Amino acid sequence: MPLEILLPLVVMGIAGIAFTLHFLGLTDGPGLSSDDAARKAWAREFPDAPATNVARSITGRAALVETGDRLGIVWRFGADTTARDLEGAEAQVQNDTLILLLPDYGARRIKLHLAPGEAEAWAETIGQKT
Amino acid sequence: MMDTLNFPKVTEIAVPLFIAAILIELLWIVIKGRGGRYETRDAVTSLIMGAGNVASGILLGFVAYGFFMLLWRITPLDLGTSVWVILLCFVLDDLRYYWVHRFGHRIRWVWASHVNHHSSQHYNLTTALRQTWTGTFTFMMVVRAPLILLGFHPAMVLFVGGLNLVYQFWIHTEAIGRMPRWFEAVMNTPSHHRVHHGRNARYLDANYAGVFIIWDKIFGTFVPEQDREKVDYGLVRNIGTFNPIRVAFHEWVGIFKDVTQPGLTWRERWMYCVAPPGWSHDGSRDTSETIKRKHLERHPEDRGTPGFEA
Repeated sequence: MPLEILLPLVVMGIAGIAFTLHFLGLTDGPGLSSDDAARKAWAREFPDAPATNVARSITGRAALVETGDRLGIVWRFGADTTARDLEGAEAQVQNDTLILLLPDYGARRIKLHLAPGEAEAWAETIGQKT
Repeated sequence: MMDTLNFPKVTEIAVPLFIAAILIELLWIVIKGRGGRYETRDAVTSLIMGAGNVASGILLGFVAYGFFMLLWRITPLDLGTSVWVILLCFVLDDLRYYWVHRFGHRIRWVWASHVNHHSSQHYNLTTALRQTWTGTFTFMMVVRAPLILLGFHPAMVLFVGGLNLVYQFWIHTEAIGRMPRWFEAVMNTPSHHRVHHGRNARYLDANYAGVFIIWDKIFGTFVPEQDREKVDYGLVRNIGTFNPIRVAFHEWVGIFKDVTQPGLTWRERWMYCVAPPGWSHDGSRDTSETIKRKHLERHPEDRGTPGFEA
């Protein structure tokens, strides 16, 4: 197929599908509806380190997870969740946004929009524990 | 002996069909309220990965094709272009696909290229297009060498490989449950391939087939989808980004970091490249074998069931 046909087809195809999905309300998904949901989301990624304590954000977008002496985070990722151990993480606060810098090329910078005051409190907890 | 031979570029011709099929699947899911899930950023990432794969083929395809043409000049054999030869080539190339795909999950250097295909936590037709940008650097084109040395023209080998990939598009869906029993017995299907995309301990390192599932049955890697255990899609440690650059290169960066860490022997550095994903010099990470073993420690009742037989 000539490039002058293939290129517009691909660009318009991607844009069209993206627009349709967004228009249908399929951007993002539900947050963590309960502490139990946060525990399950953590266990999906770290089945060997069960959560001993969970602090869910008021927005439901994320949860801080304690596993004995370690700290981790579960956060909403598209329509799903994912999780990371916070060993070596650095926390920064910008207004009500918590920014976590991780030694991880994939999830290098996690940006979490939290309720007023929550970002500072979480950053302090992370600073003490990591 | 023919030097030039033209076959259609099937993966490019299929692009409009891919777009139409994605829209039909999406419509089906929205109307029926079942049969899969879509999320905007996940789908866009997959589609950009697909476009990047085509672009990398255009830019780097000459490397593999040059290698194949070199082999073609060496071999004294030429099987011609009859329909039967093309069919035989298709079947043998599918066997080649099975092994390249298996290497792709068992050798970290090859996994670094293939991992992006498994990085979506969704399973829909866009996932099929979440393809590698770095396939050339795995050097897996050498696995095609026997086909060309046997007398299959390089253009034919690439043509049947393209057909193989086009076949695999439709099996990336949850909208289709199971196909008729005879079809499930011989062909790769949505059900078999859902298993392959599972991050459940039971489903790891299973169902590598491209078109014919018989290869998994012959080589002992077949695991049937279990009604009592829903497939959980994605990676053992999900990637946590929609950035296509990070999706494409994260495992290569991981290899580089592991290989260049201080205090390792040369053997350990080598093993970080070629051992199965999850291998580490100090045993601090999990391979699929250790994940399965740990699962059985937590769930001994699963021992001997599909995926936990060995």
